[in-house]
Amino acid sequence: MDALIEAGNKADRKRRRSYGPPKDSSVPQSRDSPLDYKGKGKETAKQPVKPAEETDAVVASISRNTTVPRTLSKLGSKTPKTEVKLENNKFTPWAFQHKLHHQARWREEAQEALEDVEILKTEERGVMAAEGLMERTFKMTQDDIVNSIGEEQRRYRKEWKLDGGAYRSRYSKNGRHIAIAGKRGHVASFDWLTGKMHCELELRETCRDITYLNDHSHFAVAQKQHVYIYDQQGIELHRLREHIDITRLEYLPYHWLLVSVGNPGVLRYHDTSIGRVVATHKTKLGACQSMAQNPHNAVIYLGHQNGTVTLWTPNLDEPAVKLLAHLGGVTSLGVDPSTSGRYLATSGMDGKVKVWDCRNWKGCVREWEQRGTGHAEVDWSQKGFLGVASGGTVNVYTPPSIITEHRGSPPLYLTHPIPHRPLISARFCPYTDMLTIGHANGLSSIIVPGAGEPTFDSSEVDPFESKKMRREREVHNLLDKIQPDLIALDPDFVGTVAEPEAQDEFADPLHVASHRLPRWEKLKRAGMPDPGMTSASANEAKKASRQGREDDDMEIGYSASDTSESEYEVDEVDNGGGGEAPVVRRKKKKSALKAYLKKAGGNVVDPTVARIKAKMEMRRKEIQLARIKERQAMVHREPSALDRFRRPPRL
Amino acid sequence: MPGPSFDLNGIIPSILETSPELCVVIARRNPYLSCIKIGRIKIPSALSGDPTPVSRNLDPLTHPFAKARERARALNAAKLDRMFAKPFIGSLDGHIDGVYSLAKRPGVLNLIASGAGDGGIIVHDLPTRSKLLRFPGAHKGVVSGLCFTEDGRLLSCGVDRLVKLWDGMTTSDEPLVTFSGSTAFNAVDHHRSDQLFATGSNVVHIWDKNKSSPISTLSFPTSTENVTALKFNWSESSVLATTGTDRTFTLYDIRTAKAERRLVLNFRCNALSWNPTFPTRILLASEDHNLYTFDVRNLSKPTAAYRGHVAAVMSCDWSPTGEEFASGGWDRTLRIWREQERTSRDIYHGKRMQRIFATTYTNDSRFILTGSDDGNVRMWKARASERLGVTHGRDVAARQYRDKLREQWKHDTEVGRINRRRYLPKSVYRAAQTKTEMIRARQDREGRLRESGAKEGEAKTEISKVVIQEQE
Repeated sequence: MDALIEAGNKADRKRRRSYGPPKDSSVPQSRDSPLDYKGKGKETAKQPVKPAEETDAVVASISRNTTVPRTLSKLGSKTPKTEVKLENNKFTPWAFQHKLHHQARWREEAQEALEDVEILKTEERGVMAAEGLMERTFKMTQDDIVNSIGEEQRRYRKEWKLDGGAYRSRYSKNGRHIAIAGKRGHVASFDWLTGKMHCELELRETCRDITYLNDHSHFAVAQKQHVYIYDQQGIELHRLREHIDITRLEYLPYHWLLVSVGNPGVLRYHDTSIGRVVATHKTKLGACQSMAQNPHNAVIYLGHQNGTVTLWTPNLDEPAVKLLAHLGGVTSLGVDPSTSGRYLATSGMDGKVKVWDCRNWKGCVREWEQRGTGHAEVDWSQKGFLGVASGGTVNVYTPPSIITEHRGSPPLYLTHPIPHRPLISARFCPYTDMLTIGHANGLSSIIVPGAGEPTFDSSEVDPFESKKMRREREVHNLLDKIQPDLIALDPDFVGTVAEPEAQDEFADPLHVASHRLPRWEKLKRAGMPDPGMTSASANEAKKASRQGREDDDMEIGYSASDTSESEYEVDEVDNGGGGEAPVVRRKKKKSALKAYLKKAGGNVVDPTVARIKAKMEMRRKEIQLARIKERQAMVHREPSALDRFRRPPRL
Repeated sequence: MPGPSFDLNGIIPSILETSPELCVVIARRNPYLSCIKIGRIKIPSALSGDPTPVSRNLDPLTHPFAKARERARALNAAKLDRMFAKPFIGSLDGHIDGVYSLAKRPGVLNLIASGAGDGGIIVHDLPTRSKLLRFPGAHKGVVSGLCFTEDGRLLSCGVDRLVKLWDGMTTSDEPLVTFSGSTAFNAVDHHRSDQLFATGSNVVHIWDKNKSSPISTLSFPTSTENVTALKFNWSESSVLATTGTDRTFTLYDIRTAKAERRLVLNFRCNALSWNPTFPTRILLASEDHNLYTFDVRNLSKPTAAYRGHVAAVMSCDWSPTGEEFASGGWDRTLRIWREQERTSRDIYHGKRMQRIFATTYTNDSRFILTGSDDGNVRMWKARASERLGVTHGRDVAARQYRDKLREQWKHDTEVGRINRRRYLPKSVYRAAQTKTEMIRARQDREGRLRESGAKEGEAKTEISKVVIQEQE
């Protein structure tokens, strides 16, 4: 037996050792990560090869056809470098300790893997820098830039001369495809990199906006009366009748929601995966000409004609934020994607461009007069460059100066004149240093070095995806679709612990269903005083309770407490002043009113009954309050000789 | 066919081509990623058949809604897991009466022996679900205990006061050896390495396989027990644990031939099992509907109580991994538990399955076998939604990812609800409700008495009420 206990102790120690801190920290840990070979080849080469694994015939025979799943590889098998210290190890369950150590180990390994991935990044961000003191980047014309870069990148600079009116454009999420819509009904979707046209349509009616849906295989056009959805070949698939007289469209890719707003001033969320309108909000601010989405929390920003900017989510009928941004209508909005939607740029009819901090709406961060006159369009690039197309020029500003508090315009990074007024859209191309401006004479693409994110993540978007990859991505995105209810100003609230509801001493237990209460709480509710109470106070409580009932009886002619399942009467046995617990005796009471209330119940809302119930409720609360006061008073009672017979106070 | 030449310099922009005044570089991509078609020229990025090149950017900004999407994935994983939860594989019939004992052969995956109330023994082959050996009428009356010896023979005991040793390879009417006792046997277990086995009747006998009478008899001095279950420890192989009808649990050392410790519990235990990976841990299946794990180094209190059955637990067995165990009960359900978790991980039941008297894991811990009153041995998956057959490594990785997601998001309201929800037979569901109500009423009453002062002394937790007395 002792041997067994000893054996057990040994086993226990052995287990503990297996996840404890390493004995000798100077010994280098072997790395088994699949990314290991980068830069660490020499170390791994030094380690002796295990002969057993090499010569095992069975392993050798199946290894050609077998791969060990990544999760089964040895990642996460080491001991953590930092030991998890718990405050009180003795009383922490063993399994819990084990779990903590395991988690610490995984965290460390994940951190190392992350560093490895950073090494593998080979892409370079574009840049344009002045060399001399007298040199200014905005003095570079597009021709200068084109002449100084490689042939492939020269293709970014393009002029599309089109005669469909003023054009609005939209890039697909991976930046490979562009959809354009002319005011007079010329709509096209094409791959701008290879120049492959997907479709070209002459709709012969006003087109006000265009957006791709989940990818370039579908796009929606806001036409004269309704919104239409077309597929890649330009075949009309749907006419969304609910959306009338739409001016602006947005698509929330992770929620599969098509959002529209128009001249009636109604904001609609249309779920494109199930084909239903999930939310309709009346803005009550008239026709709306500008809309933007925050890509990090899917909040929709609207700019209105009276200079107000409002923020909307599907589950709130009222705007989450309402802000007077301009003296005059808001012409355009843009949310900065490089700072997870922290900054908002607006342009208004008052000729100003303003940048707002979304954490603090008390005044803007920076404001300046737009260059030129007329309608201005703003857009942010992935790296936080702000493009403002106004008058006859496009101006690009760079990040730190846009959001630093300073008077006047931030220093200009790049400017480009476009003589074809009006300029009605400006869009940066994702993952490319390119800005496309839509104007009366077609579209112009200019090169903005450093605007785009050079490294894409192929698990999210891939500009070079094949047809099969696109299909698979569509299915996966659909499986990962987020419910519209989860849109909120803080996108990280998902998975956090909910705050406990405020406890109201009186209101709360009454709202809890009777069967969920502990038995004693039920008895208390039934009007029975606390058995721990002294006889005197019990007597008083009883009296108070009776008094209350008599009052009720007088006024409404019945006895109290309709919620109780059974009525209790407290009888006291007098045994010479001792604080004996009262004896509980069950007693049926007259319950005419109770019966009346029950009868009057059902679906009919009777004002009399409601009044009676409210009164009873008040009465009950009063009694409870009185009881609590009494109990508090008891504590500060004068000492008496009879105290020696009392039971010790309850804790 | 020689393709038209192309200007490589154009594809990979070079920093060399800069204007004298300004340094301009445009975002530059890894050339292997950009297999693009320009005009009619296709630029090969890699050899055909290579895996698609991938690019990674771990900046959180490129992964918006990461948490919300992970939750959606966890929800889907939970739903898929429930959708594919089909734990019942099949039943092995052949017995005329109920199955009251099961035995697995150590080190062998495919064999299972079952003993029935009619005295028959069958050795089943699990992969083919066929009967390898049949011993009809091996005993008169119930075969109350079965176990394999270290050399693959089969040892059976019955209420006909006999212990029989069978050749585990061939069917024969006659046993190799017969040992006779004076009273009906309830349990038998073989020593791990020696030629010894133990039987439980009203006393515990230790037998040598080469001798016809027991070599020693073990009993606690004041005992009036009738042994219900008995198991050797496999790590410290001279230690023997028994449970008795007089609500006791006793530990014997066969070298000293005496009882080391004895516990008197509040209810009697029907079965016991030693943890295969943690030698000091033992599991008891109690008549009070609960299971308890004890550490034999400290027997004053169970290390954990496992509540969930709504009738007596009749059998239990640890998974060979030592992390989980299964229990079968009088309430016709099989429950799977994780160590140190209070509620069962899963509940299996069948329309035709009756009370479960024997439960055993297979040696690969993937399957559970139950023997029940209805005369069938049932085979269940230990993980209800596991896919049988050959699986690709990618499938395994995907399943593990889903499991991890379910684990991480189990506190989410919706995910947790889907994870936990099990449909139970009405009788079990009602019984559980009634039981909860009764327990709650009892606790309320005690609390009330304590509040009023009618009951004094320190309040005892439920778990510390299990052991009534510890004797040495």
